[in-house]
Amino acid sequence: MAYLKDQRRETMMVEGSWNIGAYRYKGSTQLQEYVDGLKEKKLIGSLCPGCGKVIVQPRNICGRCHRRMDKRMVVSHKGTITCFVISPPIEKGKYKIIGMDPVEAGIIQEGAILVPVFVRFDGADSNINTILLNSSPEQVHIGMRVKAVFVENPEGKLSDLEGVEPLKE
Amino acid sequence: MQRRVAIVGYAQSEYQEDVPRTREDQVFDVVKAALRHAGILREEVDSVVTASSDFLDGRTISNVFLSMAVGAYQKDESKVEEDGTGALLYGLMRILAGTHDVVTVEAHTLASTINPHQILFYALDPLFDRQVGLMNDIAASAIQARMYMKKYSVPEEAVAMVSVKNLANAALNPLTHRKMPDLTVEEVLNSKIYYDPIRELMIPPITDGVCALILASEEKAREITDNPVWIEGVGTCVDSYLRERNLTQLESLQKAAAQAYEMAGIKDPYREIDVFEVSERFAHEELMISEALGLAREGRGQVLIEKGLTGLDGEIPINPSGGALSADPICATGLTRVIEAAKQIRGEADSHQILGVTRALAHGQFGICAQKNTVFVLGGDR
Ligand SMILES: [Zn+2]
Repeated sequence: MAYLKDQRRETMMVEGSWNIGAYRYKGSTQLQEYVDGLKEKKLIGSLCPGCGKVIVQPRNICGRCHRRMDKRMVVSHKGTITCFVISPPIEKGKYKIIGMDPVEAGIIQEGAILVPVFVRFDGADSNINTILLNSSPEQVHIGMRVKAVFVENPEGKLSDLEGVEPLKE
Repeated sequence: MQRRVAIVGYAQSEYQEDVPRTREDQVFDVVKAALRHAGILREEVDSVVTASSDFLDGRTISNVFLSMAVGAYQKDESKVEEDGTGALLYGLMRILAGTHDVVTVEAHTLASTINPHQILFYALDPLFDRQVGLMNDIAASAIQARMYMKKYSVPEEAVAMVSVKNLANAALNPLTHRKMPDLTVEEVLNSKIYYDPIRELMIPPITDGVCALILASEEKAREITDNPVWIEGVGTCVDSYLRERNLTQLESLQKAAAQAYEMAGIKDPYREIDVFEVSERFAHEELMISEALGLAREGRGQVLIEKGLTGLDGEIPINPSGGALSADPICATGLTRVIEAAKQIRGEADSHQILGVTRALAHGQFGICAQKNTVFVLGGDR
């Protein structure tokens, strides 16, 4: 039977909320080690003793080898864009980038276009998800060479790595 | 069953209250230990089935980030959003279907991530029951306990005796965390009241825990081990929602057990099964479970505990491991019972080993007041 709009009646609804409170996710050493590296403007990854792959940001377990990756490596500041997306115009109050609203914080203007990128730093076998700075949607391309941009005085926080910018080699 | 399927290896974490490690780290260690116990590498595994809850994990599609830790990378993988006995059933079906030969089954809950009772409130019907703020999983179980105790004149001492037995057994099991070797009935009845008649020592502690086992087809099982634990029977059944259910009996468990007994060719579980590992999420539930499993007549579960028949030296030991009352890593609780039952058959239960076990039963449950129940009958080579 077809659903006839003129026969539709409103059903009663009950207001509900889903207040399950705060979660406590257990941390591990890899996040701490990564941000400790950022404080010294170093990019830290984990090395798998089985396959030799270097994962940046570090991860504790290599799924391929089913082994722990306890060893840490420092990779280059230089890297290559492996993929990118072009954002819609950024509206105030709609996005949080590393914990802050970039429009409200005055980092970008309302309506600006951002370019989130996947970057493989030299020496790493995985991508890091960050933002392309000092460039434009017209310039970005797969294979573009970039380098890490750090804040002037890193404090050992994820926001110490601001993004990447085009590298002039 | 068309194809015989065996448990060929297993491992459990130490069940504790607040383990300061990531979920991935804990799961990795236990899966690795289960593979080591079976003596195989992850390359020999065809499929991985896990059991956990998105709400308890605090992540949607919470298996996404676990695939590497459970050894599922580039393999067939699936998850059940319930007790680990559901994952085991799922794994068994994969092997019976003939599409897979070796399956890893993993289950976990780290209840320190969030208070599980806070989550269980949202299992209640949003239109009616959730509107009554005081209603929750413990209150619902208190209603069940009161109805059951009233209908069959079960004294609260009999309920307390379940806690006394299981928490004393737990003292012999190095993996559990609520161990009370000298607990008395009076102490249970004087413990903090939650919802009358349910008291603190009649419900499990908050537990972080992980367990895993390796399942194999008969051909593979013979290659892997000299000591396979066969799945002889299985049954699963779900009851209706809380309010329209007969709360004084676990009818879905009766049906699940009947299916498992028929498959295993068991006529008299009291005589034919040597040990029982059940998921009693509340002390009174163990009495109800023993009735549903056909070990006592309706309402007479109390006699088993009063006569000591379910103790370590009794005729039908129930929960020599300490049961759920000693450690309840929610989604891992039923799979823990399966592993404990398998340990009894292989003679690997150490200080809580029952002598001469050739056949064991394991039970898992999920949902408020044990809405869904799954039963496995396990046996060794005889
Ligand atoms: Zn590797």
